[in-house]
Amino acid sequence: MIPIEYWLVFSSLLLAIGAYGVLTRKNAIVVLMSIEVMLNAANINLVAFSSYHTTLHGSADASGQVFALFSIAIAAAEVAVGLAILLSVYRRYQTIDVDKINILRW
Amino acid sequence: MLEWAWLIPVFPFLAFILIGLLPKRTLGWENGAGYAIAGAGGALVLSMLVIWDVLNGHILTADAPRSTWLIIGDYHIRFGIWIDQLTAVMLVVISVVGTLVVVYSGGYMHEEGVGRRRYYAEIMLFISVMYGLVLADNYLEMFIFWELVGLCSYLLIGFWYEKPSAASAAKRAFIVTRVGDIMFMAGLVILLWRVKSLDFAVLFQHADPPGTIIQQGLISQNMLTLATILIFGGAIGKSAQFPLHEWLPDAMEGPTTVSALIHAATMVKAGVYLTARTYPLLVQTPESLLFVAVIGGTTALIAATCALAANDIKRVLAYSTISQLGYMILGLGAGGYLVIHAHSGGGYAAAMFHLMNHGFFKALLFLCAGSVIHAVGTNDMRSMGGLRKHMPITSITMLIGSLAIAGMPPLSGFWSKDEVLAGVYEGGQFDPIFFVLWALGIATAFLTAFYMFRMWFMTFAGEPRTAYHAHESPKIMSVPLMILAGLAVVSGFALFIGDGFKSFVEGSISGLGIGTAGEGAIEIARTVFTNPLTYVTLGLAVAGILLAYRIYFMPGFDRSVFARGVPGTIQRALENRWYISKFYDDFAYKVWYGFSLVADKFDIYVIDGIVNGFAYLGANTGSTIRRAQSGNVQRYTGFVVLGIILLLVFVIYVFPWGGW
Repeated sequence: MIPIEYWLVFSSLLLAIGAYGVLTRKNAIVVLMSIEVMLNAANINLVAFSSYHTTLHGSADASGQVFALFSIAIAAAEVAVGLAILLSVYRRYQTIDVDKINILRW
Repeated sequence: MLEWAWLIPVFPFLAFILIGLLPKRTLGWENGAGYAIAGAGGALVLSMLVIWDVLNGHILTADAPRSTWLIIGDYHIRFGIWIDQLTAVMLVVISVVGTLVVVYSGGYMHEEGVGRRRYYAEIMLFISVMYGLVLADNYLEMFIFWELVGLCSYLLIGFWYEKPSAASAAKRAFIVTRVGDIMFMAGLVILLWRVKSLDFAVLFQHADPPGTIIQQGLISQNMLTLATILIFGGAIGKSAQFPLHEWLPDAMEGPTTVSALIHAATMVKAGVYLTARTYPLLVQTPESLLFVAVIGGTTALIAATCALAANDIKRVLAYSTISQLGYMILGLGAGGYLVIHAHSGGGYAAAMFHLMNHGFFKALLFLCAGSVIHAVGTNDMRSMGGLRKHMPITSITMLIGSLAIAGMPPLSGFWSKDEVLAGVYEGGQFDPIFFVLWALGIATAFLTAFYMFRMWFMTFAGEPRTAYHAHESPKIMSVPLMILAGLAVVSGFALFIGDGFKSFVEGSISGLGIGTAGEGAIEIARTVFTNPLTYVTLGLAVAGILLAYRIYFMPGFDRSVFARGVPGTIQRALENRWYISKFYDDFAYKVWYGFSLVADKFDIYVIDGIVNGFAYLGANTGSTIRRAQSGNVQRYTGFVVLGIILLLVFVIYVFPWGGW
């Protein structure tokens, strides 16, 4: 059994990598992918704690796994919407560089 | 019977509602005069029954039935009726004069057309609330009616509201009396704050014997003095005492009947009534009494001098009203000293006696003036003259009124004026200032006789000065004149009926520890006629009449002396009413307007500056920090991440360190 700390360190790294991608990359699609990475970091945490519950109490609790499944489904929907938005942004501005898409400023 | 006295104001009030709301064609004779006479007559009959009961020794004061109007916490505001001898005197004046004036209006207002409906409705409302005022059994109820009579006065002065002078006179009357009303209210607030009640029953029960309300620690001497002076401030406004007297001559813009009823016989007496009603409190505060007396004496003289130069017949009467009201107030002030030091209610009773007599003869004089104006079509005495031949009834009744106000025996004014002045002179034993006030009083008596006969000679005697077509007034107007003339002759003899008018009225302040003299008619007459002061006053009044006769009737007097030199200066000062009115105007136009300009500038630059400054600050801050909204998604995300990190740092390191 892998100790819970390993999972937490792993998911933290994954989250940090995703966040780094979101903050630094110019390409909107890469930003979207980085967001997926961050979501998966959260999913790993959910599953890890679900498993840790069994270790701790000797009885299984599947809520963490169920939440992870929900999260994956929502992430899929989000990607669909996000890609659709990016597509129409590209059609409008001929670019998907997030630095250029700033018409919502003051 | 007395329990039903609350019905008295109901009759005129019903008439007010009916005249105001009925369809036009059901109003009948004179657009509602029938209803008005019925309303006033109903109240008259009921008042007479009540007065009869009071004459038989029944009063209804502290134990009267009362109904609760408002409950605030554990404080109940109750309304009820309070009928004692003082109320009875007021009822006599209001009911008799009110009814006669309404009857007289049937002829006088004939040419007013549809306006008569408004007139009769307002007159009925006035009579109703005036009854309410004198029947009230606490200061709050009284104050409500007090304001309502002020409203009716405003409406009726401005009856011809399309005339700018009438509209502004109405406003002026309303605003000037409001100054007094605010003082009255402030006095009531002090009483309510300290004594926790405005009921006469509570306030006056503590007043017996004098001083207990203070000894019980309910209120300090100084506070009670302040309260009584403020309450008297209400009387200064309503009874047109100096320095708030200038509204009354202007109030003559209303119909003459209104002047007769409201601005001579009833409403302006409300201030005197208030002062008399407050007696149990006033006698505990000698300073207030002195103030009352000084105001009264000053007013009597100033108003009498103003009347000397007035050419408007109604203004002469208005100034004489102010002057006579000053007498009553002076009599009350001096009477209080008599109550304190001599345990005698003589001065108080004399003032109320003068109030009653004045109500009759002044209403008579005004209605006569109305009759003259009705006939000649102008108020200016310079265009009259010689009316005696055309209007015999009016000229004789007016002569009776003038003799009465001048104080010629045996007419009513002689008895009451003499009693008032005797009371003031007696007060001189206790404070020498009353001797000065007495001197003002007899000077006023001289002036009164002079200007009343100046008016009579200018109006009725001699030859016509303009071509007018005068005729005697119709019966509906002349009969009330004759009745009032009769009353002006006989009402003075009330002094001698039974135990005498004075001991009757003294009954209403019997709780103040006064010994009622209970003199018989013979003794009263002997007191009057053996007092040398009586002959001083009488002599001065006769001199006044003779002087007026010399100047305004006998040919050969060159009146142009009044236009030159020192007499000319005085004449112009009098014509300008001692510049008091001008002073108020200047004060308003210059001082107050200047102050308003400063306030305006303060508003524009300081108040608005602060408000605009805040707006400017907000706008500037906004336009500076809105640059954070770059529209760059990644920068936003960066802030989010930074925020999360900061929150974590706080939760993990900072809060536990702080003891969370």
